[in-house]
Amino acid sequence: MVSIRLDKVTKRFGKVVAVNNVNLEIEDGKLYVLLGPSGGGKTTTLYLIAGIYKPTSGRIYFNEKDVTDLTPAERNVGLVFQNYALYPHMKVYDNIAFPLRLRKEPKSKIDSKVHEVAKFLRIENLLDRYPHQLSGGQQQRVALARALVKEPSVLLLDEPLSNLDALLRVYIRAELKRMQQDLGITSVYVTHDQSEALAIADKIVVINKGIIQQEGTPEQIYENPRNVFVATFIGNPPMNIVKGAVLEDGTIETTGSRLTPPPAVLEKIKRLKLKNILMAFRPENAVVSEHPMEGRFSPMGDLFEVEPLGRDAVVTVTVGEFVIKVVMPTKEAMQLRIGSKVYVNIDPNTIKYFDPNTELNLEYIEA
Amino acid sequence: MRIRKASLLFFLGPALLVVALFYIIPLFLSVYISFTPMVDWNVNRYLTQFIGLQNYERLFHIVMYDPDMRAVVITTVVFVLVTLIINVFGGLLLALATYFMDEKMSATYQGLWLLPRMTPIAVYSLLWYYFFHSSGIGILNSILLKLHLIDHPIALGLDPKYLPWGAWFIIIFVNGLVGVSYGMIIFYSAFKSIPKELIIAARVDGASTTRIIKHILLPLTKWHFTFVTVWQMFSLLMTYAQTFLLVEWRVVDSTWGQTWALYVFRTAFTTTKDQGLAAAASTFLSIIGIVLGIVALKALGYEKMILEPKGDI
Repeated sequence: MVSIRLDKVTKRFGKVVAVNNVNLEIEDGKLYVLLGPSGGGKTTTLYLIAGIYKPTSGRIYFNEKDVTDLTPAERNVGLVFQNYALYPHMKVYDNIAFPLRLRKEPKSKIDSKVHEVAKFLRIENLLDRYPHQLSGGQQQRVALARALVKEPSVLLLDEPLSNLDALLRVYIRAELKRMQQDLGITSVYVTHDQSEALAIADKIVVINKGIIQQEGTPEQIYENPRNVFVATFIGNPPMNIVKGAVLEDGTIETTGSRLTPPPAVLEKIKRLKLKNILMAFRPENAVVSEHPMEGRFSPMGDLFEVEPLGRDAVVTVTVGEFVIKVVMPTKEAMQLRIGSKVYVNIDPNTIKYFDPNTELNLEYIEA
Repeated sequence: MRIRKASLLFFLGPALLVVALFYIIPLFLSVYISFTPMVDWNVNRYLTQFIGLQNYERLFHIVMYDPDMRAVVITTVVFVLVTLIINVFGGLLLALATYFMDEKMSATYQGLWLLPRMTPIAVYSLLWYYFFHSSGIGILNSILLKLHLIDHPIALGLDPKYLPWGAWFIIIFVNGLVGVSYGMIIFYSAFKSIPKELIIAARVDGASTTRIIKHILLPLTKWHFTFVTVWQMFSLLMTYAQTFLLVEWRVVDSTWGQTWALYVFRTAFTTTKDQGLAAAASTFLSIIGIVLGIVALKALGYEKMILEPKGDI
């Protein structure tokens, strides 16, 4: 099997730097998700791994072999596209057989391989159809079959679920994850959908502006974002950010409320000589109520809106200049009156502190 | 319902009028004239005389027994066939070449190939008049003389020594050069409309450029191929402007450089001014054109291409 290593890889298109000095190691047999907004450089990174683009500088390794100058075929990668890119004039069978025919494999071998992969993906009954006679989910499977039939060393998926409707996406997502684990194939998966990334990834690589913002397990990314961008990109709704002033006595003051940060944070604030600080917390780590709660940091604000989403509701509160979203049980949320004064009771242990100048999480700044 | 009809007529009226005025009426007039003994545009005298199929009989007789007319028929077949192949496959080659170039290069390249089409016919023909001129000032002659390939100027399109090949070469060359850009533009835009991912997918699957052309680009542009072929066949059957000027300016032989369409034009307007015969020849050409068009569409599988999709859309 294959691990992938990108060593100081940069890709420029004219004046635009699409991928900027990226170092990345993708472990053997793992599913890595490249996550970021559109235009962030994730598809370019994928195409660099595939060999469709040549890096402007830097090297790419499969295991210890330098593949920078190899063609996609020589790298033996399987690629699945957002629009599936099935050859419209070929039947499903011929679509899947196409890469094998290009390798000039014997007919009987091609036939048995096509049927094997078709059986694996449960599309055997579709082999005689044209792509336009298939549903989106079926086309997606055919595209996957065509990528897998080559027994690639690496499976690359470029927004493979984006063209499916929301319900189907959740099902196929689980199937993809299971299939990847069963095959144990090193996979790189590009998406802009953070919930998809959290659901499917062994490791998430958040990319924006051609730079890796953070790399880690879904839990690490979710619980402890490295910077403000990651904090506000991951989660639905994402983290709330509140700016506070650091006072002489070591407390933080924001919109009339005071908080004493943990000693480790305070120490870093002192060392960095920060006058201001950004505090971030997840919507589910706070509760909105009419009275402040014991042991919580509870700034006061106005209840703006309540959106019930079944079991939970999204409660929007304006606290001074900040708009804060809290996820709490619908039953409790519906007790609140819109427009009334409320307290946002934040669990202080879950608050993350960011340097407003570098937008870095203080925990990631070396002591 | 009445309002609908009125508004239909209002919106379609102007276009229908133009079509009727410039296409339908002349078509009927032309067919009608082929049944009259009209000569020298003497409309008052001949327009009311009906002579049945006499012009067609004369035409048939000329084709059968006049060697010059045999030359017209052979020239037409050779001209249409060879130029068609050049236009379609040349256009295809140019489209492929420009498709695999980078954008800027391909735009410049295509612009160059479009120049003949953008040049007025007279100017374009004049260019080739100078090029193929039978005296020493002809560009081709002066090049060949400089290279010592010939020792005195040659009349490629006129000298019986080189006929019919010399004349054919010139008219095919001149018309082919204009014609390729049409196929190039159609094929190029057809290739461009194929999703880029298909090409990338094929590359990832290990397809060489030749394989991509053979397995992806060509099969997906079958319809454009049919269209360009049939369309170019029609226009080659009917075209005569450049060839007419080259014949009039004595660059190519008036017998072996004359296609059927040009024969129609010259018979009606310059040589014998026998409009009745010309009208019969033009009607005959139109019938041949329609038949060939239908045969070509059938042969290239047009019906299969317009079948309704079977699955969900």
